[in-house]
Amino acid sequence: MMTAIETRAPILDEARLTRGEAAVSVRGLTRSFGGPAILTDLDLELEAGSFTVLLGRSGSGKSTLLRTLAGLDPAPAGTVSVPKERAVVFQEPRLLPWKRVWRNVALGLRQGDTRAQASAALAELGLSHRLDAWPLTLSGGEAQRVALARALVRRPKLMLLDEPFAALDALTRMRMQALVAQLWQQHDLTVLLVTHDVDEALLLGDRAVVLIDGQIGADIPINLDRPRRHGDPDFIRLRQQLLATLGVDETTG
Amino acid sequence: MASAAVSAARPQDRAISLNVSAFLAQAHRFTVPLLILIVWQALDSFHLINSRLMPSPVMVAESFWQLLVTGQLLGNLWASLIRVGLGLGIGVLLGTGFGLFAGLSRLGEDTVDSTLQMVRTLPHLALIPLFILWFGIGETPKIALIALGAMFPIYLNLFAGIRSVDRKIIEAASTLDLTHAEIIWNVVLPGALPQFLVGLRYSVGIAWLTLVVAEQVNANSGIGYLVMNARDFLETDVIFVGLIIYALLGLATDYMVRVIEQRALAWRPSFIGTQSSGNRANRRAA
Repeated sequence: MMTAIETRAPILDEARLTRGEAAVSVRGLTRSFGGPAILTDLDLELEAGSFTVLLGRSGSGKSTLLRTLAGLDPAPAGTVSVPKERAVVFQEPRLLPWKRVWRNVALGLRQGDTRAQASAALAELGLSHRLDAWPLTLSGGEAQRVALARALVRRPKLMLLDEPFAALDALTRMRMQALVAQLWQQHDLTVLLVTHDVDEALLLGDRAVVLIDGQIGADIPINLDRPRRHGDPDFIRLRQQLLATLGVDETTG
Repeated sequence: MASAAVSAARPQDRAISLNVSAFLAQAHRFTVPLLILIVWQALDSFHLINSRLMPSPVMVAESFWQLLVTGQLLGNLWASLIRVGLGLGIGVLLGTGFGLFAGLSRLGEDTVDSTLQMVRTLPHLALIPLFILWFGIGETPKIALIALGAMFPIYLNLFAGIRSVDRKIIEAASTLDLTHAEIIWNVVLPGALPQFLVGLRYSVGIAWLTLVVAEQVNANSGIGYLVMNARDFLETDVIFVGLIIYALLGLATDYMVRVIEQRALAWRPSFIGTQSSGNRANRRAA
């Protein structure tokens, strides 16, 4: 079905969900908002079922790239091919405060028992007891889990996460990171996570793409065993490599 | 509220103590008005004020009873209620129509907003002479005047409410494969509702104000007619009855709008817990 969003972002072909094939394919993407280009002639492919982390300093164009893939920004130059079944989680939960939790999750579902589907998704995120709560009574972590449930209930092939843990406290963030890793492993998902947190990238991703001035500055595979630990020597080595790419000179004692 | 302080008490004790303290708090609020009535009555009983100009509370109560049993009060009250009801209804409908048109489309805004903003600066009560010439002296000019006055707060608040809905929420909803109409119905209109209800409250106030003026200019029924007749016969007690009726009507309609708010905006933190259905959520959050 065509929606207003999809007419703005060209979708060339439906991605097939076999590991090894490209779920997302971006070619020659250039994007500017009047001034100098935010993204210049960018190429990127995401393998189906992969977990890619997009890193970059503020203003490097990482959010713009995610918004383009989400169909929220038009792509004036270049081709963008993404699966139609995609879901976005933003930094803020962005729930509708006037709809109870399960109705927020069920919004836009059209087939079958939408309450049952919503409640299954909420149960998976440990929120069965909050089905009928008003969003404004939720804690920050709970609200963000509802946002995740709202994304998950649509059975997306591509999950776009725009700094979804940035506004959470440290302990909640750790729990949410574990939860996202678990969801990615249990569902057949391609994940693109935008973050500026190098540790988060190394905990979750199997590939780190660093955007520098609107182009891919580094593309680093993360071949670490899961679950990952901060103390692992390989973890520390990759961490220094990523930080150096981002231009942070960390002097370790 | 008080749940934390008395958590050790048994539930039924707590309910009783809450009821008693709630009753005392309510009673306390009526102390000053009651004192004023007593002093007023005393001043009159000792002939310290001219009861022809300032009737005592007892005199006002007596004339209220008289008007009630003769049926004058209810008949005139009904006439006034019909005027306000019709005028307010038409005004709210028009204000909502224009507000939706201008709020939801750029074309609508360009078409009606500047015109309505210009007309808005005109005090609508100044149109009474014109309306009498246009519509005569029957019900039409009164209802039209009330409708005109009530329309603007609705229009302005609905328009502003629609335009101030959080863009980020609309954006998030647009990633859920909703149609344009579904976004308007599920996101934009509920988001504008609080501001619309603010407008409704203003409209109700303006409707009563307009009624008072319209009935005093020219009427042969209604509370205003009762008051103007009383002036001709120096019946200050009847005038007081009219004033009290106006005040009660204003209070009653304001209360109605607040009940609507409580039901329609149950999701707001300030309303959660004021209804039985919201109590559970509130307790869990505490």
